[in-house]
Amino acid sequence: MKNTNIPFQATLTDPPVSLPKYYKQKSDSEGQTIDILIGGAAGSGINILENLLNKAFILNGYFVFSTKEFMSRVRGGSNTVLLRISNQPIHAPCWHVDLFVALDKNALPHVQERLTEQTLIIANESDPVLKDEQRNIMTIPMLQTAKNLGDIRYANSYVAGLLFGILKADLNILLKSVVSAFTEDTQKENETSIQEGYTYSEKLKNLSLPIIPQTSLSPKDYFHLLDGSSATGFGCILGGCNMITSYPMSPSTGVLNFMASMSKKFTILVEQSEDEIAALNMVLGGWFGGARAMTSTSGGGFALMSEAVSLSGISETPAVIYLAQRPGPATGMPTRTEQGDLNLAMHSGHGDFGRIILAPGSLEECLNYAYLAFELADRYQVPVILLSDQYLADTINMMDKVDFTAYEQRRYIVNSDTNYNRYTLNEDGISPRSVPGLGQGIVGSSSHEHDERGQSTEDYKVREIMVKKRESKIKRIVSETHAPEVQGKGSIAIIGWGSTKGAIFEALQGLNDPRLFQIHFVWVHPLNPEHLDVLKQNKTNIIIENNVSGQFADTLRGHGIHIDYHILQSNGFPFFTDLLQNELSKIIKDIK
Amino acid sequence: MKHPLDRVNVDNAWCPGCGNFGILKLLKEVLTELGLNPKNTAIVSGIGQASKTPYYIDTHMFSSLHGRALPVATTLKASNPTLNVIAEGGDGDMYGEGGNHFIHTVRRNPNIVHIVHNNMVYGLTKGQASPTSQKGFESAVQVKGVSNEPFNPISVALALKAGFVSRVNIGNYEHAKTVLKQAFLHKGYALVDIFQPCVVFNKVNTRKWFNSNTRELEVTHDSSNLSMAMQKALEDDPIPIGIFYQSESSTFEDHFYEDEKKALFTVSHDLDTLHDLFEKY
Repeated sequence: MKNTNIPFQATLTDPPVSLPKYYKQKSDSEGQTIDILIGGAAGSGINILENLLNKAFILNGYFVFSTKEFMSRVRGGSNTVLLRISNQPIHAPCWHVDLFVALDKNALPHVQERLTEQTLIIANESDPVLKDEQRNIMTIPMLQTAKNLGDIRYANSYVAGLLFGILKADLNILLKSVVSAFTEDTQKENETSIQEGYTYSEKLKNLSLPIIPQTSLSPKDYFHLLDGSSATGFGCILGGCNMITSYPMSPSTGVLNFMASMSKKFTILVEQSEDEIAALNMVLGGWFGGARAMTSTSGGGFALMSEAVSLSGISETPAVIYLAQRPGPATGMPTRTEQGDLNLAMHSGHGDFGRIILAPGSLEECLNYAYLAFELADRYQVPVILLSDQYLADTINMMDKVDFTAYEQRRYIVNSDTNYNRYTLNEDGISPRSVPGLGQGIVGSSSHEHDERGQSTEDYKVREIMVKKRESKIKRIVSETHAPEVQGKGSIAIIGWGSTKGAIFEALQGLNDPRLFQIHFVWVHPLNPEHLDVLKQNKTNIIIENNVSGQFADTLRGHGIHIDYHILQSNGFPFFTDLLQNELSKIIKDIK
Repeated sequence: MKHPLDRVNVDNAWCPGCGNFGILKLLKEVLTELGLNPKNTAIVSGIGQASKTPYYIDTHMFSSLHGRALPVATTLKASNPTLNVIAEGGDGDMYGEGGNHFIHTVRRNPNIVHIVHNNMVYGLTKGQASPTSQKGFESAVQVKGVSNEPFNPISVALALKAGFVSRVNIGNYEHAKTVLKQAFLHKGYALVDIFQPCVVFNKVNTRKWFNSNTRELEVTHDSSNLSMAMQKALEDDPIPIGIFYQSESSTFEDHFYEDEKKALFTVSHDLDTLHDLFEKY
């Protein structure tokens, strides 16, 4: 057999890879943000409006952040998009807004609680529901203008023009952005609609909106605009992913779509499997053959994968599972968000075996840890679960420049000789992994308890040795885990994991209390006890989780960490940073 | 009898007289006679007595989960198309637990050989009915006899236009060998359903029963004719054996690898391209 070259061949003796660090650059000027909420039906073009405004505001010199809240349906209902426009990077959504645009008459009742007395409400002039309202309302002829142009969906571009006018932004920039946002045959009408909206804004008086000062940075030159799914997808390709086998399931499908689109440029096999059981078993077949394979799913699909997670464990076949959470149990709320599947991820699969769970909390962490998931799966020969959620997957934010060459490429596979044994015993419990057809040996992988060759066995001594071998892998993993990120110093630790990172960060900035500091976990399992010392020195530990039971708090308690306060939520929303700030301020005012 | 493909130092877990021994011998001889390099051949099995086969033959193996050999085999083949890949297991494994994968693997058409040991009974769980058990078959669970219509893998595979559909009887050894060889030579998914006796739990469908209730397809059978194949597949007295249907078409791997087929462990992504794509965001 010919000698095959493995690119980036590496061994366990190489120290763990290091991840590039990202520090969001800050503007010199004082932070000022305008929060705009737009409500409309599914299929009414609200997503196009989101993209158009995001791109145009960036070109206008602002930072943007946008997040959607939508119903599980294709048409109708009432959905919203929150746009936050600022001269500083934004990290989280807010509940209360400065400006609300109701694209139809159902939009306002849907968001009542998010509007304050100061909120400026812009609605269509003929919507009857608004007549009784004692609010700061302005009505505009958006539907009539759109109808005159031939399609009510031109109301979206009318609103875009109006918002640009209200915020005194450059109309020409918005008009230029039309080219990439709309199809060619509607560009002229959209341009007209934008101009009419912009012109109409000049008639509006006493808007009382904050003015955003220009930033000293140039967001368009330093940052990229993308959602969590895309950042994760870039990380997967950076991690060498060349196979994805999935059954579509919200909110994980964004990554599947991204990888499928990238398969036109890279060697990536994309297969939509008949079910999630096939999906993860295909991942294992891929890694067994030398591919770097992944699957994408949400809680219900992952539950179906449990047996194959266990197969990954005993056969020591690497696997990468992107698990984007949504509220359960069972079907739950398919288009909403939650952090309710940490326990499932930690305990899925029968029997004892090691696994790694990574829960990124920002776009930079999505990229870094998606890359790392492949590295770790290969290095330790365990399943690695990349735990995201609907909020993180679908939210659009600005991301730093990325130096793709800063990510070390490694492949932990060896050429086999005639005496090769797949499960050779050694101190680490991690046997050199070969793949069929690479060398002179035979590769035997087994779901049964097995000996070093991979032959099934019921010898009780071999069983004990092999259980210990797999257990010792966990020790090795624990010794190489990443510590939580600690921001600031103080006596009150605000603990979070995964997608709560940004909301906690902004809440602490808002509170500006020197006692508070943030501890953010991305590497949520297994934990290294030494890394938890920081939680033993505080007077007070407050944990924030988007689930009803405090699943990560329970894990920390299992490590002897005392949790004084929980802020838990399970309403299908992400944490809103303004509401979180209020919650925290109530708790900390009583802490001495 | 010794064979160069015997795996050494193994403790065979099959019952004396089991039909699996014949299938193991058949497989070793076919691989050898076709000159297929065992170092370039992998067997993926599920769970059950039949699925223990790869522990006794010296090729690469992945003994996977009950019912799941086909998805594992499909992506193994795709990740290294130079390998000869076999998916192997019993009737309960492939048609019961893995029934959904059977349907969709046929549709995918990976270039693999799918060997199903069909003894119409569950062996390892001790004698319950399998999807192919015949009506009236009594067991500790089916105490009034099986009432379900037996699963017909041949007609199901044909309905899905599988590229190679065959059934053999291990009691008709030389015929079985001819057919299995053709399965390996076929480009694309190839089903070989092999009748075999379970000497412990199936006292109805014995070696003698299979011999007297099967008949080789007539020499006039046109295996390129799908409707003729389907007609034969639905006959059950006697049950026809042989190659029902054969037609080659583009495989799962052909669709993925447009140009040169190479193992994915030799592939790395161009980071400059990735950088350029990221810059567009």
